[in-house]
Amino acid sequence: MKTFARLLVVCLTLAVILSGILLLDVSAQNATMTDQQIELIRTNCVSAKNTLNQLHMSDALLRVNMGQMYESMSTKLMERFNGRVANNNFNNTNLVAVTTSYGLMLDTFRSDYITYEEQLSSAIAVDCSKQPVAFYDAISSARTERNNVHADVLKLNQYIDQYQSALNQFEKDYQATSSGAKQ
Amino acid sequence: MDDIQTAVSVDELSFWGKHRFSLLIVLAVLVASSLVLTSIALYYSSGAAQLDLSRPGYKAVRAQAVTSDSDFQNYSSTGAINQSTISEFKSLYARQAQKTEAVDAFGGDPLNPNSLGVSDVSDQSSF
Repeated sequence: MKTFARLLVVCLTLAVILSGILLLDVSAQNATMTDQQIELIRTNCVSAKNTLNQLHMSDALLRVNMGQMYESMSTKLMERFNGRVANNNFNNTNLVAVTTSYGLMLDTFRSDYITYEEQLSSAIAVDCSKQPVAFYDAISSARTERNNVHADVLKLNQYIDQYQSALNQFEKDYQATSSGAKQ
Repeated sequence: MDDIQTAVSVDELSFWGKHRFSLLIVLAVLVASSLVLTSIALYYSSGAAQLDLSRPGYKAVRAQAVTSDSDFQNYSSTGAINQSTISEFKSLYARQAQKTEAVDAFGGDPLNPNSLGVSDVSDQSSF
């Protein structure tokens, strides 16, 4: 019986400490926002939600269309040309290296988009009239994730340019080899 | 005599023997439920959910999805390599690269709290 009472006291103490920590956390979040801003979120709640829903839809469409283009760049052009070069016993190391990096970045783009979409969906799910602070934080996280996706897009474009440079280099090497063979 | 024998054999059946049909139905439902849950988990974890424009809520943009990329030519992975084929590939690649890079995908800042109307201008730096 004494053991049970002790256990109960320990559990109650832990519960009090945990709720204290949670309360502190919530008050810290509130401290970063003014009452005016909280009121602004409540006022513009419906229009902000509509904008988020539209963005959710248009970004999904963009992801489908752009993903298809990025995928085609790799499977329909890069990999096929690399294969053709290899079949003709030419050195394709640089081309393959860029294609591999591009493929890895495409995987990052896919996973970053999933994270962004999940974050945006959770922001849309927050009731902004009742939880304005949570709504603001969710939008903030979604914004960060969207910036990550944009950074991935820029890197993918860089790899596309790098492949073009590798292609130019391959052409120069080929011309040098073929003119050397003629002489 | 036959009636007596039948009655005895039914009595001898165990609990699971008596309820084997119910057991079969319960097992079938459990297997089906676990398969459905696994497929839903795969649907979300694989990223297919994010690409699925047939979900409710995407009706407005569904028609704008590019369903055929026929303008994206397949380059043949077989054949000779010479100046002509290299030039042909270079021009094909440059055309598609330009098309791909023309779109500033996920650019801009639509989630800026100011453009969403959930922040005053003075708070812009804290976001």
